Amino acid sequence: MRRRLLLAAPLLAVGPARAQEEELAQLMRALASVRERRDRFTEARAIPELDVPLANEGTLAWTAPDRLEKHTTWPIDERLTVAGGVLTYERADRGIRREFSLAEQPEMQALVEAIRGTLAGDLPALRRHYEVAFEGRHDGAWRMTLEPSSARVRAAVQRILVTGEGARLTGVDTESSNGADRMRISPAP
Amino acid sequence: MRRLLAALLFLAVAGGLLAWRVPPRADLVEFLPAGRTPASAFLFRELQSGAATTLLLAAIEGAPRAELARISRETAAGLRASGRFALVGDGSLRPSEAEQEFLFRHRYLLSPETRPEAFTAGALRPKLEALLDGLRSAASPLLARFGFADPTGAFLGLAATWLGDSRVESADGAWFAPGRDRVLLVARGQGAGLDAEVQRAAMDAFRAAFEAARPGPARLLLSGPGVFAAAAAAQIRGDVEMITLASAALLAAFLFWRFRSWLLLGLVAVPLGAATVAGYAAAAAAFGSVHAISLGFGMTMLGVTVDYPILLLTLRRPEESLGEAAARIWPTLRLAAVAAAAGLLAMLGSGLPGLVQIGVFAGAGLLAGAATTRWLLPRLVPEGTRLAARPLPAWIGRGLAGLRGHPRWALGAVAAAVAVLVATGGPPWQRDLAALSPIPAAQQALDAELRGQLGAPDVRSLFVLGPGAEGEVLARSEALSAAAAPLIARGLLGGLDLPSRYLPSPGLQRERQAALPEAGALAGALAAAAEGLPFRPNAFARFLAAVEESRALAPLDAAAFAEGAPVVSARLSPLLSRHGGEVWGIAPASGVADPLALEAAARGLGLPGVLFLDVKLEMERLLADYGRTTLRWALAGAVLVLALLAAGLRGLRAGLRVAAPIGGAVLVVLAVLALAGEAVSLFHLAALLLLAGLAIDYSLFLGLRSGRAPGSGQPTPTGVDDGSGAVLTCAIATLLTFGLLALCDTPVLRGIGLTVALGVAAAFLLAGAFSAPAARR
Repeated sequence: MRRRLLLAAPLLAVGPARAQEEELAQLMRALASVRERRDRFTEARAIPELDVPLANEGTLAWTAPDRLEKHTTWPIDERLTVAGGVLTYERADRGIRREFSLAEQPEMQALVEAIRGTLAGDLPALRRHYEVAFEGRHDGAWRMTLEPSSARVRAAVQRILVTGEGARLTGVDTESSNGADRMRISPAP
Repeated sequence: MRRLLAALLFLAVAGGLLAWRVPPRADLVEFLPAGRTPASAFLFRELQSGAATTLLLAAIEGAPRAELARISRETAAGLRASGRFALVGDGSLRPSEAEQEFLFRHRYLLSPETRPEAFTAGALRPKLEALLDGLRSAASPLLARFGFADPTGAFLGLAATWLGDSRVESADGAWFAPGRDRVLLVARGQGAGLDAEVQRAAMDAFRAAFEAARPGPARLLLSGPGVFAAAAAAQIRGDVEMITLASAALLAAFLFWRFRSWLLLGLVAVPLGAATVAGYAAAAAAFGSVHAISLGFGMTMLGVTVDYPILLLTLRRPEESLGEAAARIWPTLRLAAVAAAAGLLAMLGSGLPGLVQIGVFAGAGLLAGAATTRWLLPRLVPEGTRLAARPLPAWIGRGLAGLRGHPRWALGAVAAAVAVLVATGGPPWQRDLAALSPIPAAQQALDAELRGQLGAPDVRSLFVLGPGAEGEVLARSEALSAAAAPLIARGLLGGLDLPSRYLPSPGLQRERQAALPEAGALAGALAAAAEGLPFRPNAFARFLAAVEESRALAPLDAAAFAEGAPVVSARLSPLLSRHGGEVWGIAPASGVADPLALEAAARGLGLPGVLFLDVKLEMERLLADYGRTTLRWALAGAVLVLALLAAGLRGLRAGLRVAAPIGGAVLVVLAVLALAGEAVSLFHLAALLLLAGLAIDYSLFLGLRSGRAPGSGQPTPTGVDDGSGAVLTCAIATLLTFGLLALCDTPVLRGIGLTVALGVAAAFLLAGAFSAPAARR
């Protein structure tokens, strides 16, 4: 599927900009209409200093307007919750619970807002943090390339690629100076 | 008449010149005590003029959050651009990339984790496992960035230590007070010193930066020692101006009513003016500058000198010229002035800088006022001018006559006062200097609130380190850090903010360098530790290089640290203070419930050059010391006054007779203060001395008219105002000025006003009752 998407990309890129903008707006409305969702994710983190990518899996839960929870269940149990501007990190097995202000963690904020802004269907919020490039297909699949507007954030996170089908997210790929992260998302069973 | 105007003009010019050359100071620095020991002297100096005093705490509120954040950012930018501040703290304050790099480079010298055993395979293995675990977690970006160059976590450990326990919420480049729509900022001025002008300029710069940020409806709240000093100065200045003007007006109105003569007002002003100029000059010569409190209080004390011309004019006999009258009453007047000045001995002996200054001011002034009355005043009045007080209303005259000759009433009143004092144990002693502070309670509450929100506790309990070279002080700080651990475990204190927490001593840095392994040994240990873990062979190349580099780095001193790491160094610099070639260290303690217990435990540590001080305790002890000293000197002064009176009146009996109303008035005042629950401070004590000086006048001059004191000789001729009328005029004049003092907001001045106003009334009544019955007409 990914290959098909890539093949179609050049064709889509030449489409009239206004039509594309309208399509993006439509997608955002569709995303915004989903008030709650719960998905499974698998993640592979490639770090140059390591022989093998580090694998993770868990669940991703969204509650409009601004609550996102990433609960990693394997190989470690870790829960990351964002609500408003507060990031909560919990590691139950070690009794760790910490709260951070998202604004104090620009790199983390870049990642969080990419997913949260998309799920909320909040295009202005996305454009506050990123240069947004959008490509959609007629079968409903789409991809959005987000490049951080802040030079400081871009030093750490160069590009985030969000893919989806209709009102559903299928993947988030992050390219950062410390490696590449591929997250695949599927509906929770 | 012309001579009088010339004299007044001369005094006005002299006073103006003095005030211009040596303007009165309104800041409290000069007025406060020095410490009892070198360490407490250092501490008080720090509190009065150290780096901590240039701290400004600010809150902005009254606008939506986004708007507050914008105002905060723009205000902070304006403050930084002004160049007036060594540090501006707001939500945008974080170490720059260059500073982070500097700290990262020196991490093994700065980190307490640098020990030989930390670099063995056995110690590295769990670190590598933790790193791997962390890379799987949400902290992965942070660890991927630092973890391979620093697998032991030295840098992240340091960052966590330095973060402190500030409770502010950072958002949008601003610090928000927890749970409130209020942004917080801090700024520390350049250099040090509680110089009122510099502080005012800093506050003005802060307000200007705030205004330039287009605040709209938002309000700026400022606090900090500088703001307090300015508020105190304004308060004191306001009080002094109010009292000077209002008491002058009241006094003039009263005297005009009594004498219906403009000439008299001019005459009364001459000794007062001469006394003020002489007192100011004496204080300026002795101390280099004169405090506004000395001026205010000293001038009020010199209100006594108003009595002198009144006494002279009203006690003059019809057949006498003014010069003859002055010569006749001079022995009594001289005795009164010298005795009153001797009563100030306790002020001079107290050692409290403010009191000593007031004592010099008032003592010099009193003598000058008396001398002016004796030698200058008679020359200023044109020949043949009659100045007489209007007769008192008949009922007052009857009252006064009735008052005289009732020593039993007086003794009864004094006995009642003694009974009250015995029953209540006397008025409570004011131990808290803060209670004397002229700062409004609301301003103090705001300060406490902002400090709490910023996590910047008020410095109260602390350890003083040094003095010595910078390295020695840091080494002492390290010794204290180790020694204090059991005290923290016992709950005697919550924690210590030590200078060595930010910068280790050069000795310790060298020790840490020696603990770093050679490149080959470390590579071997690392390879053994990474056995079976998915790290690539060269994953830790940056770590190996960094350890090797650290072995050869020059240890950091405070100057190098400040240059490389200005933001972290801004937390260190208030803890190290330089005076001449010596460095002192300060380690504020937090969470101290029982300073006395901590003091005892700290004494038991036996660390040389480390001293525990609790500012409040130290201040209380200091005040108690001063109180005891002042009391001793007051007793010595009382004996001296008695001796002077006995010598002047040629007999101890006569001396005692004059002294009785004075002592009685003091006892009555103390009893009233005890009943009113007013806590007695050093300043009340000083006021009692002043009261004694006034009471001497009343007692002597009432005695004079009774025909027993020398210099009188004959019974009162008819047609002349009875002595008690003259003394009553004096007493009311004094009551008017001190009654006003009792109304002002500065606690020190209010306490004095209350004491003296009460005392004057008591002294007059007692002196009247003790005196012999008036001669029958």
